[in-house]
Amino acid sequence: MSCWRFDLQKRMLPYLEGRLPEPKRARLERHLLDCESCRALLVRLRAGHQMAQRLASLEFESAGTPDFESEIAGLEGAVAEGGTRGIAWRGWLERLATPRMVTALSAVVLLQLGLLVVSNRSILLGERSRTSIVVAGAIDLAEFRQLAIPELKSNTQPHVATDGYVEDVHTDEEEGTVAFKLVQNPQNGSSFVVCEIMSPIRMAPPADGSRVRVYGVERYDAQQDRKWYEVNPVLSIVPLKP
Amino acid sequence: MRAAQDNDGHALRHLYEAYRAQVYSLALYSVGDPAQAQDVLQAVFLKVFRGLRGFRFHSTLATWIYRIAHNECREHHRRSKPPFVPLEAVLGSMDEVDPKPNSHDQHARRERDRIIQQAVMQLPFQMREVVVLKYVEGLSYDDMSRVLECAPGTVASRLNRALAALEERLRPFKEFL
Repeated sequence: MSCWRFDLQKRMLPYLEGRLPEPKRARLERHLLDCESCRALLVRLRAGHQMAQRLASLEFESAGTPDFESEIAGLEGAVAEGGTRGIAWRGWLERLATPRMVTALSAVVLLQLGLLVVSNRSILLGERSRTSIVVAGAIDLAEFRQLAIPELKSNTQPHVATDGYVEDVHTDEEEGTVAFKLVQNPQNGSSFVVCEIMSPIRMAPPADGSRVRVYGVERYDAQQDRKWYEVNPVLSIVPLKP
Repeated sequence: MRAAQDNDGHALRHLYEAYRAQVYSLALYSVGDPAQAQDVLQAVFLKVFRGLRGFRFHSTLATWIYRIAHNECREHHRRSKPPFVPLEAVLGSMDEVDPKPNSHDQHARRERDRIIQQAVMQLPFQMREVVVLKYVEGLSYDDMSRVLECAPGTVASRLNRALAALEERLRPFKEFL
């Protein structure tokens, strides 16, 4: 399965060029240790980057023909007059303006208008149906394994759905991420899982204290100061009754 | 620049000389044909010269010219979509390419250059454009996002897709390149 960490994948090229600043570089390298799919992508990007770098030294035949060179002087005059020297569009228009061509163009315009109305209607309907499941269509929520938060420790499936109360919503503007804790029982400080919404998956963060079902990819974050389970990235959030 | 805005002939020519090669290479990679690239070059500079009076220095001159060139290339691409031709059809299969290139051999070097250029030209338009802006024109992510009028994150995604596609197309020729 391909990795959803688009945010880290976008940094691979700056990483290859040695332009990624330290905290981001370390984060990417930690992820690479963990993710076979991203390592494979990095290898491909490095090969593509090395080939593309050679474009800078390749040259085409010299640009500009003598005709155009001499025409530059004419263009200067055309610019000043607001004329259309160099572009024979008027002649083309006159040749195109036959009765048969006008009829054909009118039919095309009417057809385009019809298509515009139909496509706008489908866009509006699509927006209306997208209320609770944010990335519906991209994922099948039925494939996610429904688990209670304490059960995440023994889970081996990547796609999970889990319910809980939202706490400590934190937005990182620079990273374009939103992280929050999902707690099983807010009263007794019980089990929790850290959930992260990341760019380019855009969805509104859930309200602090609300009860929700979170769909996403389960990971274990083994950093020294963390060591907790995560749903990262979050792919959908569905509000539940408290 | 101010002189060019006042239609000073020398200044216009200077502007043309300064940006001609960049616009031409962007156009050639975009349209794939020298004669059509020449048409694009002409159309771009006509628009540049006409639009100079309205240029308000909200972006750099280079970014503004690239944006005009990008729009012209995109328009040209919309009007005439070339049929897809596989790379092997243009260059022959790997079996037909000399597997032992001599780095001093001018012909072999040109052949390798041609393979890379053809592979770039066969990328889909959006990918090709972002590769050319970065690797041929040397624009930064921020400048590319201004030229293409999209977020830097979108530029990064397109570049990733483009480089992965380029690697895939050139994989059979890897040893030769």
